[in-house]
Amino acid sequence: MNSAPNDSASTPPPAFYLPDFCATPTVLAVVLISELVAIVLTLARQELAHGFWIDLARTSLFLLWIGLTSATALCYTRPYLARLGVAVASAISLALPVAVTLLISEVTYWFGKTWFDGLEPGVASLFPADHANFLLRNLVIAFIVNALALRYFFVAHEWRRNVEMKARLRIDALQARIRPHFLFNSMNTIAALTRSNPGQAEEAVEDLADLFRASLQETRGRIPLKEELEVARIYQRIEQLRLGNRLKVSWQTDALPMRTLVPSLLVQPLLENAIYHGIEPLPEGGTVVVSGEQKDDVIELRVSNPVHANAQGTPHLGNRIALDNIRERLELAYPGRARVDVSSSATEYVVTLTFPLVEPAADALA
Amino acid sequence: MKILIVDDEPPARDRLKRLIEELDDCECAGEAANGAEAIALAGKLAPDVVLMDIRMPGMDGVEAARHLSRLDEPPAVIFVTAYDEYALRAFDTQAVGYLLKPVRKEKLADTLQKAARLTKPQLAVLAREAAPKRRRTHLSVRMRGELRLIPIEEVLFFLADQKYVTVRHLGGEELIEESLRALEEEFAPDFVRIHRNALVAARHIASIDRSGEGQYAVRLRGLGDELPVSRRLATDVLRRFRG
Repeated sequence: MNSAPNDSASTPPPAFYLPDFCATPTVLAVVLISELVAIVLTLARQELAHGFWIDLARTSLFLLWIGLTSATALCYTRPYLARLGVAVASAISLALPVAVTLLISEVTYWFGKTWFDGLEPGVASLFPADHANFLLRNLVIAFIVNALALRYFFVAHEWRRNVEMKARLRIDALQARIRPHFLFNSMNTIAALTRSNPGQAEEAVEDLADLFRASLQETRGRIPLKEELEVARIYQRIEQLRLGNRLKVSWQTDALPMRTLVPSLLVQPLLENAIYHGIEPLPEGGTVVVSGEQKDDVIELRVSNPVHANAQGTPHLGNRIALDNIRERLELAYPGRARVDVSSSATEYVVTLTFPLVEPAADALA
Repeated sequence: MKILIVDDEPPARDRLKRLIEELDDCECAGEAANGAEAIALAGKLAPDVVLMDIRMPGMDGVEAARHLSRLDEPPAVIFVTAYDEYALRAFDTQAVGYLLKPVRKEKLADTLQKAARLTKPQLAVLAREAAPKRRRTHLSVRMRGELRLIPIEEVLFFLADQKYVTVRHLGGEELIEESLRALEEEFAPDFVRIHRNALVAARHIASIDRSGEGQYAVRLRGLGDELPVSRRLATDVLRRFRG
């Protein structure tokens, strides 16, 4: 709906919800709204048999003038409105057509009074006689119809934005899960092992298959923590082939309740980040620590990696996407009760997930 | 054709080595696990071609290629990468070869032959142009046909003479052929210009003392003498280090 350049940004600012009133579809919509209102007004005003078509024609003419003039006014003021806050812009968008209605009503009244006053009643009745009453009625009708139209545009815009956001989240999720770098490096490792160590190559293919199966089951929902940690261990095995003794992972997870249910792929992306950003840049390698504990009804999972002494620049984009994705999925699973904390020092980078304990039985009932 | 394989992952090196051994007229002269090792080996082995992984710990492949291009007899550098879209975008416009992992034997043979047809000066130019201008982790100094690397974090200061720039580092003193202005641009904000002819490593500054009427001097950790701060730059330097 809105200008294209905004859409490419990762979090586009909420675009102004009013459509472009110079565009053909919007002009058509305005004509349609004017006509519908004209029919409603005519129907409400009199019995069908008595001059219905003439009444409809003059009401249509009157309302089309108002509708199209308002559209023109909004078309030209839109760039200016888009820069204002939503509340102010909405107030102006509401006031503008009401003002146009008032103006055209006034013109119509004086036009009728000046040119057709004193003519035979048939023609004169086409124009209003009661000045104040005419203006007030039009004002109220314009206000209500316009408010409804604005509401419609707003809801349509929000709905479209929602659809776009969901699509983007899905793409982000896919990107966070399958890092091309990992896929091609694993393929290369397998190609190398096929001749030197066929047994290991076979295991690596099996591990890779399991890992991708877990990644692609997007709608799987919650799985036992034991399974989630197993997926992370499979991932470690594949990376181990490639990095050899540069990679050490210390699993301190024995104290965790293994049957508790967690959203799938919580730990593996954290381990992947820790290896990609923590271990790979270190010539001598290092140790990733995966640890966890249960405090009452809350589980804390930590993944920490050493930090390269000369690490330059800001946290990597891929890292942020993965963390945002985990944060969103935890929020969906435990609204308001889960947290993702990141702490980094000169030597260590730690991500801590905190979420409530969910027993399998309790979850099944929910 | 003598080939040097550079990759941090042992299985990746093994595979390339096996592929090379299957090709005619090609031999694997050596293997290195990162950029710095590659430069040391290239000086000793004088390979014709270097198969260079891009993402490596320590010094990455792109920077290593930049340093190698400064050798008197630079080898042809062929980049080998799993997936590095930013780097590949830079090479696409250049005639420098690159290979994607897992490397196909026919592709490898083709690319090696193409590299063999290029003359060494052509290679040097291509390698220099292909490498995106990223901040280096090391400086390289030519010594008797080999390259010596100085890690940037060991550099104390650069001092410009009429023609040369002297690099003072933890291991001694070296002359390099780069301009102070280019060095300042590349390594800001870790290096601070304190004088028209002096660029100092912020991390090695011990103190900034008043040395006279409106005059200041920078003292570096583990170094006896002081470097004068020019009057013109004094306010900037003081603001940065005294808050």
